[in-house]
Amino acid sequence: MTGPGDLPEAATRRLESGSFSSGLTVPDFGACLQMGLRPVGLVQGFCAMQWSWYGAGSPYMRGTSPYGTSDGGQGAYSQSWRCPHGLVSAEHRAWGQNYEQTWVESAWLQGFGSAYGRLIEEAKEVGAHGIIGVTDTSHNLADMNVTEFHMLGTAVVVEDAPAPPGGDPWSTYLAGQRLAKLIEAGFMPISVIAGIASVRVWAYCMTEYLMEGRVGTYGWGGATSTQEIEQVSEGHLAARALAREHVRRQLGSDMLHGVSITTAEREVGSGDQVLECTLRGTRVRRFKGFDPMPTPRPTVRLS
Amino acid sequence: MSSPTDLPKDAESRLAELGHGFFTSDLSVNEFLLVKETGFHPLGFVMGSSIYHTGIQGRRWSKSQELSKLTEAMYNARELAMTRMEEEADELGADGIVGVRLDVNYYEWGSDAAEFIALGTAVKAEDGKSYRNKQGKPFTSDLSGQDFWTIMQTGYVPQGLVMGTCVYHIAHRGLGQTLGSVGQNIELPNFTQALYEARELAMTRMQDEGNTLGATGIVGVRLEEKSHQWGSHTIEFLAIGTAVTKSAGDVTLPRPTVIISLDN
Amino acid sequence: MSPDSPLPIDVRAEMRSAAAWLADGGAAPNGRAVTSDLTIDEALLLHSIGWEPVELVFGVSVTSVPVGVWTWGRGEIGAASDAHNLAVHTAAERLGRECAKAGGHGVVGVQVSVEVNPHHVDVHLVGTAVRPVEGKKPGQTFVSDLSARDFVLLSNAGWSPLGLSFGASFIYAPRRDAATAIRQSSQNIELTNLTEALYSARESAMERMQASGLAMSAQGVVGVRITEGPMRFARHVIGFTAWGTAVRLVADNHVYLKPDMVLPLDDAVVQFEAQSLRGR
Repeated sequence: MTGPGDLPEAATRRLESGSFSSGLTVPDFGACLQMGLRPVGLVQGFCAMQWSWYGAGSPYMRGTSPYGTSDGGQGAYSQSWRCPHGLVSAEHRAWGQNYEQTWVESAWLQGFGSAYGRLIEEAKEVGAHGIIGVTDTSHNLADMNVTEFHMLGTAVVVEDAPAPPGGDPWSTYLAGQRLAKLIEAGFMPISVIAGIASVRVWAYCMTEYLMEGRVGTYGWGGATSTQEIEQVSEGHLAARALAREHVRRQLGSDMLHGVSITTAEREVGSGDQVLECTLRGTRVRRFKGFDPMPTPRPTVRLS
Repeated sequence: MSSPTDLPKDAESRLAELGHGFFTSDLSVNEFLLVKETGFHPLGFVMGSSIYHTGIQGRRWSKSQELSKLTEAMYNARELAMTRMEEEADELGADGIVGVRLDVNYYEWGSDAAEFIALGTAVKAEDGKSYRNKQGKPFTSDLSGQDFWTIMQTGYVPQGLVMGTCVYHIAHRGLGQTLGSVGQNIELPNFTQALYEARELAMTRMQDEGNTLGATGIVGVRLEEKSHQWGSHTIEFLAIGTAVTKSAGDVTLPRPTVIISLDN
Repeated sequence: MSPDSPLPIDVRAEMRSAAAWLADGGAAPNGRAVTSDLTIDEALLLHSIGWEPVELVFGVSVTSVPVGVWTWGRGEIGAASDAHNLAVHTAAERLGRECAKAGGHGVVGVQVSVEVNPHHVDVHLVGTAVRPVEGKKPGQTFVSDLSARDFVLLSNAGWSPLGLSFGASFIYAPRRDAATAIRQSSQNIELTNLTEALYSARESAMERMQASGLAMSAQGVVGVRITEGPMRFARHVIGFTAWGTAVRLVADNHVYLKPDMVLPLDDAVVQFEAQSLRGR
């Protein structure tokens, strides 16, 4: 199973049967019928990826940035810091760097992309125009270095409407009234998209001391007062900005609606960290002019 | 209780007390009113239970595979509990059961024994029409009173709670072979295939049940994954939803009013 | 349908025309892409007052706490309050700068996360920059932890958010000498020194919050949230924080909302979350 075009046998059998199944709740199902969407089947996509931290980016091979020690390189983010102390010692980290772990990002995207590709393929199999109420999860399987990417959604046909161009169904995380409201707001869903950024913070002396609160002790920070730990702040900001940049690249001039953000921090040594940020949302496109509804009536519950 | 046709004595007498206009139900007042609004009357709280021994099946440490005996056991146990609940409803002359909950309980005294319970409220149509399903049994559904009202408004009628299950064992060290390329993050095709298949099987089985009931479709499908007491490498994939058929033509829901609530 | 609150369109027809439009090639409009973490309800409400989201913006600051400040002492821990202050201030400033860069007039729905660690204070802020659709010149960029819904309600009532108002205070739990402790253990009396210390720390956190609001020439602070409790890593240190959005009346008079009363027939059912499909 190396790419789309290879659904499991049971999938084909299931999707061929006449009746539909849908993951929609009853209110969402009702809203769906109201919008003229006919559910045609529950569709899913799955991919299991193996991670090995023992290669590049492993905590055991500190500093093996594939970009070497130079700034930049291959268009990936990297930023360096140099020791202000002028000390030469094996224990003194005279140099530090933040760099983007593009290999982690591309592996994650491969997992997400494969699962998504299979979801779309299943939907095409049932002749769907779109997939609504998509959920996606990625979590670690059992106790192994395996992450599974799983997507689930309800395939629908828009009654009395032509199929999307190329027969490729659109997809969205929204369902039910929320989808109706999106359409009402003048946006058509295009696809669910995700962007991830992984930034490795390889601390230099100042970051290490500040993160351990050792500044005053050696007098190297110059002060015992509080100060910003620039390298770490920059790392966090870079991870977020990169993730945003990665979704922007897939967006064209469309809008990314309802972004959910997940961040993860993994400490791999004193001051050394791996910072990850994932953004997911529905890419939507405006299909009519800005035409806001009047502000709704405010209400108070009587109970 | 070898077959589901003989309910315990207490059940018989409890059910006998019902059916003279007196009812019990775990519906909230809101749900009760909405069920009435739909044209149904609650008859009584019904349940079914089955204690099943699950856990016997050899698994090969290094092979990912479906554990078909366990799958069967998990399926049969739920089916028994459901059937007994349906029998109770049948005794009451019900058309259907709403708000069905399926639970699994484990007790300290039986390490591999599990109690499967089905609970719900039996209802009967007030217009005297029969809403029983194709098999002449009361319909079952896990819909709440609100959901029941909504689905009936859309012109769909529930037929039965349908489910499919698949118990799967994930290999422990089967990864060794694929680890050839250390230092890379790669897809594990065998793994993907196996777990993908397991979920598809559960969903296919659920859909087969729906087809048996002559359903147009299944709504509110949930896909649950549980390891129960088998350890993290053995997972049950359970797909469950309510099968529905289209009865009348399109009944459009009244268009909701847009409000902004000032409540917290 | 009351004339006050109609859904102005037929959803079915609208869906069909959107799908047909897409099948027809549906080109994206020109302009810069937009990112937003607002829900559709929030987006619709924002539209109703003529505003729209522009960009998801971030502000992060990690600030060091010098070693030794947590060890037992007396009174307030100035360095900890300073670190907190510096981190929040820097993060909020960055958030505002990102907003201005993206062409936003302010940031709404800011999620605030503050983590106090032994050696550093981490502040993470995420929000969505918004602006009026009719390109007015932005005034002072505001940062607010009010939801888009609250922002809309406030705007309609004639108020405008100005910025985040915050304050913090960290103190050592006061020690009692052994004799006092023994004497008090057999009595039911107020521990006045404890009362006094906690009381005044709480007051100073709130006072700082008020001061930061006044510095923005605000007329008030809404949605104040306070946290308090011992530090995870130093049980003898108690931290107090207070947060809110500073607001100012920009209309001539407060506009009254006059809400309708409704009697809902729902149980408190959880609104649909797609994740619930998984039974987790």
